[in-house]
This record gives sequence, C-alpha cells and structure tokens, in this order.
Amino acid sequence: MKAEPKTILRFLLEHYDVIAELFETQSKEGIIAFEVLNQIVAKHESDVRPQLIEYKILSPVNDNYEIRTVYYNLIEFVLSEFKPMLPETIEKYHGSIAELYRKIRENINGDKVTLSQRLNDLAIEIRSFYEMVERNTQSLLQETRELKANVKKIDYREKIVRASRWIDEYIIPLNKILDINHSASVANKLYEISEFSNKYRLNFDDENARTQFEKLYFQLIQVNDNLLRQSKILTNELLPLIERIRTESIILTGWITYLKNPYKRKAPKLLKRKEISVYSKDTFYNASEIFEQFKNETDVYFEEEENESEKWIFDKEHYTKKLKENLPVENFFSWCNKTLKEDYKKVEIEKFFALTTLAFDEDIEREYGAKPQFDKIKINDLTLTVPKVTINYQQLIIDPPHGIS
Amino acid sequence: MEFPNHHRQIVEDLMAGKFMLPNERTYQAVKDNEQSYTYFFKASFNYELRLTQDYAYLVSEESAEMLSRDICIFIALLSYELDRDGKNFLERIQFSEFEMEEIENYFTNSSYIDLILSNKQLKDADARKNFINTLNRRNIIEKTGDNRFVFTSAHKFFVDFATDIVKYENAEKEE
Repeated sequence: MKAEPKTILRFLLEHYDVIAELFETQSKEGIIAFEVLNQIVAKHESDVRPQLIEYKILSPVNDNYEIRTVYYNLIEFVLSEFKPMLPETIEKYHGSIAELYRKIRENINGDKVTLSQRLNDLAIEIRSFYEMVERNTQSLLQETRELKANVKKIDYREKIVRASRWIDEYIIPLNKILDINHSASVANKLYEISEFSNKYRLNFDDENARTQFEKLYFQLIQVNDNLLRQSKILTNELLPLIERIRTESIILTGWITYLKNPYKRKAPKLLKRKEISVYSKDTFYNASEIFEQFKNETDVYFEEEENESEKWIFDKEHYTKKLKENLPVENFFSWCNKTLKEDYKKVEIEKFFALTTLAFDEDIEREYGAKPQFDKIKINDLTLTVPKVTINYQQLIIDPPHGIS
Repeated sequence: MEFPNHHRQIVEDLMAGKFMLPNERTYQAVKDNEQSYTYFFKASFNYELRLTQDYAYLVSEESAEMLSRDICIFIALLSYELDRDGKNFLERIQFSEFEMEEIENYFTNSSYIDLILSNKQLKDADARKNFINTLNRRNIIEKTGDNRFVFTSAHKFFVDFATDIVKYENAEKEE
C-alpha cells in the first residue's frame, strides 16, 4: 500500500457516510453487490471507488465486493454494532489458548526468545477472547432489549422462536464457556494459567520472562473479573429478560388465540357458587332477606265477607209432603215450577233442579204417555224442554225408608 | 372429632368459589392438611381440591363456565392492551395497582370493541364495575380503594390457561 496512514484515516473521515452505508449493506446482505456499490457511490458527490480499492478497504469477490475484515471490525467497533456470534466461534479460543499454554509449560526451560513470543501471543489470544465475549454479551443485550421493546414489530410467535433460539444457541453455551467450575471451559483454563503465571512471576531465572509472567498474571486477574461480570450479566439480566420475553410472548399468543373466538373455546373450570349454603357467610343475609319479605310495618285487617243471601238448603221432607198433598200430579215439572214460584219471589235454576230430584227417587214410579210429550218451562232467562211425567197417588211412598231431616 | 384450625372458614371460602391465597392463614391450614381436605371435599361434595404455591381452590364438574370465560376475556384484553401500550403486561399484572380509569381507557379504545360490547359483564363502565366486584369476591383481585385494585396470585390460574392454549396448539401441530 503506497498511501500514507494519515491519508487513509483522513479518507475514512471525509467519506464516512459512504463507508457506513457500505458497512450496513454488508451487515445485512453479507456482501456488497456491484450495482449496490455504484448506487451508494452515486448518491455522493465524488466517485470514491478507486480509493476504496487502492486503500484496500474493499476487496473484490467475483463480481461483487466486501469490506476487508480489519476495516469491518474497526467500523463495527466504532459503531458498537456487533452481531451476536455463535459460541462455537468463541470456543475456538479454548483450543488456541490451551495449545499455547501447553507449549509454554512443556518448554518452560527451553529457548527464552520462543517462550517470550508464546507468552506474548497468549496474552493477545486472551485479550481477543475476552473482547469477543464482551462484544457478544453486549450485542445480545442490545438485541434482547430491542426484542423486548419490539422495535421491529415482529409477531409474538416469532418472538418466542427468537427468544428460544438465543437462550439455546447463544446464552447457555456462552455461559458454559464462562463457567469456571466446568473443567472444559475457557474460564477454567484461564484460571489454571493464572495459577501457573503466578508461580513463575515470582520464581523464574529469566527476568524478562518473569516480567511477562507478571503482566500475564495481572491481565488474567482483570480478565477473570471481567468474565465473571459478563457471566453475571448473562445469568442475572440477559437470561431472565429473554425468559420473560419468551413467557410473555407465549401468554400473549395464547390470549390472542383465545380472543379470536372465546365463545367456542372451553374456559377453565371455576366452582359454581351455590346461592344458599349452610356454611355460607351470606346465610344470615339470605335468611333476613326472606324474613323481610314477610315483615309488614302496618297492621292489616281482614273483614269477613257478609253473604248477601243465606245458603238455600233443599228441604226434601217438606216438598215430599207437599207433593203428596197435591197428588195426583199430571205434569211433574210444571208442578215443580209452580210450587217454587209460590214459595219464592225468584226461582233459581238450582232450586228447580233440587226439587226435580223427587222424580228420580227410587221409591216412586213415574208414568209417561204412550207417546213422549214435552213441555217448555221458563225459569228466569232459561227455557228448559222437559218431558211430561205424571205421578199418581197410589204409587208414591209417602214415608221413604231414608228420611231426610 | 378434631378439625384443623379455621376449618369453618376454609369450607366457607372454598365453597363460595374463592381462591385461597398464600398470605391467608386458611391457606396454610389447607396446605398442612392437604390430604385430609382433598378427601373431605371429594367425599362430601365430589369436589376436587387444587393446591398450588399460588392458590388453593375447588373444582367441580358443574362449572361457572360463563364467569370463567368472561374473566379470561378480561385478563386477555388487559394483557393485550398493556403490551400494545408498551408496558410489561406480566409485571404490571403481577406487581402493580390498577385504577378503574386506566381500565376504562383501555377497554373503550380497544380494537376488540365488538367483543367487549357483546359481553354482558364487560360491555360498559357500570358492567365492568360490577365485574370487578365479582373478581374481588372470588379473590382474583383485591380492591385497594373505591376505584383501585391489584391482582392476587390467583391470576396465575388464568395465565396458565393461556400458556396451555399455545402448548395444546403446538402439540396438535406436531401430531
């Protein structure tokens, strides 16, 4: 690269808007298509494509472009816009750190220059590891808070899926990496290295190496503290927050499903209250309510109704006697009508029928003509058609065995 | 024959369809005698006693289905509206006090207004006020003033129901 560092940095500063837009495109699409590059550049005053290539900010990939990793990481860092990394990516540090540590330990008395270089590399790897963990935690927190606020207005079911994926794919594995009690974790390996460097920073014949061990030891104290803090953020803040998003999303999804048609779904069973229970608190009130219905504040008097006319009782004996005195009776029903009219001003049908019962007495014999004859008798508004019945003197038993008193 | 402490109160409350809450002395008595009470209510009334860490209550075959449905609609609508308003609905229901004015605002401006108007117990402010009193009698809420209330831990009974809907639907999809 022929350009001066200051020239490149000045270029980045002057054309930051173009670079930020390219960064955003690559973050979303994974690559910058040729046409997109032209569109972005065209929006700005000068054509910066030659410089982007010359300063090795962009590198061609087939017919498209991508921002070189070193610049990408710089912009990512400046913008604090990290995408969460899968813990598998972080886990690779376990291999590199463990391998360097193994070589340092096995060749502790070997070439001092190589030892110094390995100690230096180990410090770089540890720093890289920590920075990646920190970035991942921060980006997970940021994503989670966005999900919580639902900035992108995503569906509840999608929220459940995302929250579940972050828990299962990111947070739990990352927590394992940071779990110092787990023998295979990176944190556990760092603790082991810390113990090792503590021993050699105090007791090693080469002063330069001793100083390096000392630096490594204090770096590890700092890193272990920071890792513990990250682990706490994960377990105390991030995990509960994501769990809550997941739980809330499940509940809301359930409610929204229910509200689609609450009348067709079964509701949870609730005990049906009995109106009156022997044990009920309301028994007193229920009882008093019933009694209050019967409680009258004013006295009520009932007056006995006076009958307008006395109840008429048929005196069979009297009329049998009367019938006997009038024998022979040629037309029984006419006689009944006539007799009643003599006794009462007004003849009710009830009295007429009572008197006619004399003709149905088993002890008398009635005589009908050879040919049935009928009479019409008028009683008040009623006209009765009655047969002509004759009752003779000889046939009437005057003193019936069952006398009526 | 000896009965546990507060026996009469326990029977009264549970038979009235109340949720018994962990902060009540009766709840502890039921918890201490869970087996006995389970048998007692089964043998005496054919009711099932359910005891969780959040509440105790009775279940019968004969259910107050309409009330249960309306409570579900009420909590569902409130949760939905709180979330739409950017609030943590679960936290609010668990820990916060509600004013009737707030409830009225959510219900009168809800996009589920058709559902609300068609429901006798939730259709207007008066109906909702009565409904809140019903929830209070059942110990699902606790009134903290004339127009204020908090949800009790019994609300979890209904929240669990919402969770079960999703579980049930997911299980159906997997089949």
